[in-house]
Amino acid sequence: MVVGVSPDRRGRPALHLGALLARSAEDDLVLCTIVPTPWPPSPAKVDAEYRVELERVAAEALDAAHARIPADIAATTLVRSARSVPAGLLEVAEERDARFLVVGSSSAGVFGRIALGSISSRLMHSSPVLVALPPRGYRCAPHARVTRVTAAYGGSESSEDIVVAAAEVTARLGATLRLASFAVRARPPYTSGVGTEADRSMIDQWVEEVEAAGRAALDRVRDLAAVPPRLETVIGYGESWDEALEDVEWQDGEVLAIGSSAVGPVARVFLGSRASKIVRNSPVPVVVVPRGTVAELAGRAGRAV
Amino acid sequence: MASLRQEFLRRKPVSEMAEETGADTGKGELERSIGLFQLAAFGIGATIGTGIFIVLTEAVPIGGPAVVLSFVLAGAVAGLTAICYAELASAVPVSGSSYSYAYATLGEGVAMIVAACLLLEYGVSSAAVAVGWSQYLNELLDNLFGFTVPDSLSNAPEQDGFFNLPAVILVVLCSLLLIRGASESAKVNAVMVMIKVGVLVLFVVLGLQGWNSDNLSDFTPFGLSGITSAAGIIFFSYIGLDAVSTAGEEVRNPRRNLPLAILIALTVVTTLYIAVALVAVAAQPVAGFEGQEAGLAAILEDVTGSTWPATVLAAGAVISIFSVTLVTLYGQTRILFAMGRDGMIPPLFHKLNPRTLTPVPTTIIVALVVSTLAGVLPIDFLAEMTSIGTLVAFLVVSVGVIVLRRSAPDLPRGFRVPLYPLTPILSIAGTIWIIQDLRPVTIYVFFAWATVALIWYFLYGRRHSELGRLEGAGKVTP
Repeated sequence: MVVGVSPDRRGRPALHLGALLARSAEDDLVLCTIVPTPWPPSPAKVDAEYRVELERVAAEALDAAHARIPADIAATTLVRSARSVPAGLLEVAEERDARFLVVGSSSAGVFGRIALGSISSRLMHSSPVLVALPPRGYRCAPHARVTRVTAAYGGSESSEDIVVAAAEVTARLGATLRLASFAVRARPPYTSGVGTEADRSMIDQWVEEVEAAGRAALDRVRDLAAVPPRLETVIGYGESWDEALEDVEWQDGEVLAIGSSAVGPVARVFLGSRASKIVRNSPVPVVVVPRGTVAELAGRAGRAV
Repeated sequence: MASLRQEFLRRKPVSEMAEETGADTGKGELERSIGLFQLAAFGIGATIGTGIFIVLTEAVPIGGPAVVLSFVLAGAVAGLTAICYAELASAVPVSGSSYSYAYATLGEGVAMIVAACLLLEYGVSSAAVAVGWSQYLNELLDNLFGFTVPDSLSNAPEQDGFFNLPAVILVVLCSLLLIRGASESAKVNAVMVMIKVGVLVLFVVLGLQGWNSDNLSDFTPFGLSGITSAAGIIFFSYIGLDAVSTAGEEVRNPRRNLPLAILIALTVVTTLYIAVALVAVAAQPVAGFEGQEAGLAAILEDVTGSTWPATVLAAGAVISIFSVTLVTLYGQTRILFAMGRDGMIPPLFHKLNPRTLTPVPTTIIVALVVSTLAGVLPIDFLAEMTSIGTLVAFLVVSVGVIVLRRSAPDLPRGFRVPLYPLTPILSIAGTIWIIQDLRPVTIYVFFAWATVALIWYFLYGRRHSELGRLEGAGKVTP
């Protein structure tokens, strides 16, 4: 599991999340800082001193980060030079065969929510591994484990796969699986003439369908080789995504898993419009599962039967 | 308390440098992986710059058609100095600029003078190429859209303009990219070299149509001194050859390959330059060069009678000069960074932005200074200042080779100049010969600049020197 450490030392939430995931998955951590690659020959090594300083700054940031990792987790540090930070992190993740790539939230966001910065949003769109994002200011207790994984579930064919994939991840983390669907409906204008009740029944209908589909998905999960110890479902209602996500209850050691959109390039993370709203409004860390990995995880879970 | 003389001559211990650059930790160990042709190609790519696009306009009115010989002279001196530089670089087992090598071998005061020269070689040359860029941009705009930036906004005050807006914009844009942490990949660099070589070959092939031997009948109208004066300006277009010298520690069999690679690169580059120069002076009488803007494109337009070749050439120049400006500005900020870390200039210069990991204050200061220079100074003055800075830096290096052979004969050197002491002596003589034929104003300004640098050293650098502080604390024995 690779954690991207920013040299400006803003990366504490990512470290906490990395530690939480590593402890739960019994994996070790690679703390990694990316520095710019050396330039091609043109200026005759005029930047030797500058490069030394870069490595020093990076090593210092990594030492500080390493000191924050609880003692029960094995962690190594790594300075890598790359053309861009996301490219470097993906390279390292691939080399180390990492299952998760943890990066911090942008510093421009609201406290307690996730904001996608230039690095995280690029990873959202190009990572072949699971990307984990903590909300701004995220902290967890020193010996905490992941208690529950909530899979955001929309009731379609492809989201059934994400449920299965999330189940696989959940079983590995030793946590409870919960399916969450979010019914977001803005209050209709009174002038529509049909009253608010017409809409109400539409929502009810949708909820019924989603619940049935969710039960079917959970049945599939129960047939898997590794079944998470407990399975739950929940539906959040609200007039906005913000409200709908607030409507369900969240635990301390909870993470939210979402799948990448079906419209993106195969095998890569590509957030759909709903998924990106969920990411922005989630009060807990989010794990984004790339589509290729969804199929792979679902396949692996199924094969093991 | 160290005496002034001791301070001036104190050298950065090599072990200290090796520690800083991690040479002993195994990480900094460089594999000897570069072969002869790779090294020569590297030198050609680094040398073929923008000089050739802009120097003819300045050099031909001074040297006449014999400017062709000036290229040979400047090339020979550049080759000799590059060989001397290679010995100095190989005596210090870490990489760095000639400032760092001078600090380790010749002492703090000399390093300060070399640094002052490097500010000309990088900072002022960025300004010079930016002005050249503005000329080719105007040519391109004119050919494509029939529109040019008015003279008052694209010329220096000395040329009846107000200031050179396109040049300033180019410098500011490049600086913004550097602040964001932009870098140029090896691929982009290779493409840029190909564009430059491509448009020069295009110029030679199409320009041959305009060959007129009458233009060459009076080959040396300004005599020998004309040739050497022109060589002074032209030296500008050989900057970059020294990149080969600093690759020493990565080169297989440096004793054979280094001088050979310098020779090959020099031959290829000089041949191309001479071809371009010869075609240009044969196509156009000497008087035509005076004050000509975007020279190569203008000549091509006259010769072919159509605009497309000039447009292609101008476009190639606009793209490749942009990349050269980015690279030289980058070099300038990193040299200042090294000086800031050594305490020669205020610590502000080695401050990194923690997010982008770029030296933002340095980049902003460099952008302000370079864009001011590019905005208000004419190109011939900028080109000559760049040349004299580079020439003096190499003069110091060549003297340094002799000094170091005497003061530290046992120091291990990966590379020794062939035919010692003839090579450094020829190199010294060549640089002095070229320097003394530069315009007096250039020489005066250079002396003033060097004096300012020395005064700065005595008032500031000497007292804030990081090395001096370490010596004072007994951490480094003088």
